[in-house]
Amino acid sequence: MKSLRDCDGGKRKAPVVRGAVLQAHQEAWESFGGDAVQLIPILKAHMAAVTQETERAAMELMGHLQILASSSETITARDRAASLSKVVMAMQFQDITRQKLEHVSLALDQLQKHVQALLKGPHNQEAQQEIAALQRVERSYTMEAERRLHDAAVTSDYLEPVPSDMETTDGEEDPVILF
Amino acid sequence: MSKTALIVDDSRTMRQMVSFTLTNAGFTVIEAEDGRDAVRKVSAGTKLDIVVTDLNMPEMDGITLIKELRRLTAYKFTPILMLTTESALEKKKEGKEAGATGWIVKPFNPEVLLKTIAKVLPA
Repeated sequence: MKSLRDCDGGKRKAPVVRGAVLQAHQEAWESFGGDAVQLIPILKAHMAAVTQETERAAMELMGHLQILASSSETITARDRAASLSKVVMAMQFQDITRQKLEHVSLALDQLQKHVQALLKGPHNQEAQQEIAALQRVERSYTMEAERRLHDAAVTSDYLEPVPSDMETTDGEEDPVILF
Repeated sequence: MSKTALIVDDSRTMRQMVSFTLTNAGFTVIEAEDGRDAVRKVSAGTKLDIVVTDLNMPEMDGITLIKELRRLTAYKFTPILMLTTESALEKKKEGKEAGATGWIVKPFNPEVLLKTIAKVLPA
C-alpha cells in the first residue's frame, strides 16, 4: 500500500525545484549587480582618461603649431623639425582614444547582453552562461595604460585620482624592441 | 631609386601619420587598411623594402599578416615592424615567433620610427 507521502511526491517536488531555480536566478542577478557596480566606475575612468588625453593632445598641438607658424629667427630648423615630430605624435591621440572608446563600448555591450539574458527568466540557461562575463572585460585591453587604469579603478581606495594614460612610469619599457 | 614601404593600419589617421613620415623620408608608400587588404595588394609580388603593420585589425590581424607574408618567398626576409598600442609581453613573443623584425609601441615618434627602419633595412 502506498503511503500518503508517495502519492503526493510529484506535487511536492515541483515547488522545491522552482525554489532552487528562483534562488539561482536571484544569485545570478546579485552576481551581475556586483560586477556592474564594479565595472561602471572603471568605464567612467576610461572615458575621463580619453577626455584628458584629447585635451592634452589639443594643447600640445596648439603649442607646436605656434612654433611652426612663427617667423621668429630664434626658432631654428631643428626646433621646427622637433615640433613637427611632436605634432605627428600628438595627432595619434585619435587612434588611441578610438581604441579605448571601443573597449568601453565592448563592455557596455556585455552589460546589455547580460541584462537581456537575465530578463529571459530563471529557466533560461543563457543567463547562467553570461555570469562572470563582465570579469572578462580586462582581457579586451590592448594598452598597458588601460590595464593600469583598470587596476586603479578596482582597488578599494579608488577615490584617489586615476592615473592618466599619457603618464609614463619610471619602469616603463622602451617603446622600440628589435627581435 | 626610392624604397617601398607597406603601411597596414585600420586607422586612417595612423596610416596618414606613418605615410607622412615615410614619404618625407623619400619612401614610396603603399597603404592597406587591414591584413587581408595588404595581402591582396602585394599578391602580385610587389617589391617591398619594409612593412609597418598594426596588430589589432578587422578581417586579418597583424600577426596573421606576418605569417602570410613569411610564407611567400618574396617577403621571407623583408623587415616587418609591428606598430601598435599593444605592449603585453606575450603578444610581443607571438609577434617574434610569427616572424616580426621589431615592435614599436604607439604613439610613435617619427624620428625614432625612421631610425628603427634604417637599422632593419638591409645595407
